[in-house]
Amino acid sequence: MKSLKRVAAVIGVGHSDWVGDWTRVRAGERPDDCYGYAASAFRNALADANIAREKIDGLIVGPTTAYERMAEVLGMNVRWGDQADAVLSVVQACMAIESGQADIVALVYGNDQRSVGTQYGGPQAMGGDQFLSYVYHSPWGMTSQGALYALMFRRYSELFGISERDLGHVAVAQREGSSVNPNAIQRKRITIEDYMAAPYITEPLRLFDYCLINDGGVALIIAEAGLARTLSPKPVYIEAAGRYDLNKRATSLEPRLTDFYRPAQQAVAEQIFGTSGLDPKDIDVLQVYDSFSVHVPLALEGYGYCKVGEAGRFMREDGIGLAGRLPTNTSGGHLSESYMQGWNHQIECVRQARGECGARQIENCRRVHYTSDVAGKAVSIIYGA
Amino acid sequence: MQTAATPPRVLGLYDQPFWDLLAESGRMHLQCCSACGAWRYPPGPACHECLSPDCEWKPITGTGELLSWIIFRKQYLPAYPAPYNVIAVRLDEGPTIISNLTSDPTLDDSPIGRRVRLTVARMDDGVALPRFEFADR
Repeated sequence: MKSLKRVAAVIGVGHSDWVGDWTRVRAGERPDDCYGYAASAFRNALADANIAREKIDGLIVGPTTAYERMAEVLGMNVRWGDQADAVLSVVQACMAIESGQADIVALVYGNDQRSVGTQYGGPQAMGGDQFLSYVYHSPWGMTSQGALYALMFRRYSELFGISERDLGHVAVAQREGSSVNPNAIQRKRITIEDYMAAPYITEPLRLFDYCLINDGGVALIIAEAGLARTLSPKPVYIEAAGRYDLNKRATSLEPRLTDFYRPAQQAVAEQIFGTSGLDPKDIDVLQVYDSFSVHVPLALEGYGYCKVGEAGRFMREDGIGLAGRLPTNTSGGHLSESYMQGWNHQIECVRQARGECGARQIENCRRVHYTSDVAGKAVSIIYGA
Repeated sequence: MQTAATPPRVLGLYDQPFWDLLAESGRMHLQCCSACGAWRYPPGPACHECLSPDCEWKPITGTGELLSWIIFRKQYLPAYPAPYNVIAVRLDEGPTIISNLTSDPTLDDSPIGRRVRLTVARMDDGVALPRFEFADR
């Protein structure tokens, strides 16, 4: 089976000043627009990779910025370019490198969602034109993103016995990671009691099940594997990539409500573990796209880290915190570090695999699995040192 | 007295008959594929099962099973002061629809799996909206 195994490696990562900009935006300032945050992250990624910008011959920008303008702002003429979300950017960079379209690709994301008041719920919810399910049910008062996951969790908890208290372990574990992460916006540790005492937003989900909304940028530089070894002392390889999409009856939310995205995750698990020769016990750290906490138990089950129906017990007894059996979203993720739509997870994967995460570093971390299931697209990458 | 408008319906090229037929007849109609008989929701240009473009708007039984439910504790829309419920119902014809339950789901120990039937609500601004009530006791 052909694959993207070790075709390319990450040689540089960077991010904007999430914490400083959070404070500035909350004080009413507009420190940057989405291009400015992206430029800031890109400068840091270039410095981290220690290469000249002119060596980069491919560019992928995130969905919140125009490709042409971003390339202009960053002063880059390239021979290959694209626009994609976080995880698909990494996959597409590897595909471009494998097919000879580019040798070194910059991936750049910037978002000014907090300072411009981007709405993810209510009548102005963004993305509705892309995903009908986000707006189709508004006559019944159903527009918020969290509500989709609340509906999913209600049925899941009823069928498989996971409790609201069990779900609280996601928020609690991620606050443990963010509490020792200087890049994280929310650093105050919380207990299960704090979680349970917080108000419901859309019952059964509470305040701490929801992600932050903040401004910022993220950038990565990915190079062909041979080149990466000459350029970087610590290249982090893409060991595997996989994808499977559930689109049938998506507007009515059926892939979430009746399947919990599990068939897609199981198909992706076969792809990534099959092509890499790894299996779940070879994974040292898990990173899960967490717009809402609910993603985490579903990923634990879907990818075989525990049996179906056992995620509640796994989180409670085995643990997903820094000292747990499977440390998950070690930076704090979207709930507590920064809501960079999956981009901050990519750089956390790289930093964990390099061993440079300080107090939140997982010892002897060699392989990190990232997964997302946004709008029915299950996509995974395994990063390896 | 000013009344809050029903939040906007998505009215694409194929949606209008769903709302017109509901308001006129008090029954929900869905597109039924003329070639294979599959029901579809939301309305669309082709059968998701066999790709046939031919279909007929037919009344459905209006009965189904409650798949899930939630309570909004935060207000997003003027027409929906919190708290209010949203439910997912699998219609007996196959499709799943998002709607509201006319009673309070928290009063039931386990609403999931219960039988429900369609009822048509008339919103303040005149929009006819399909909702559901418990049908099994």
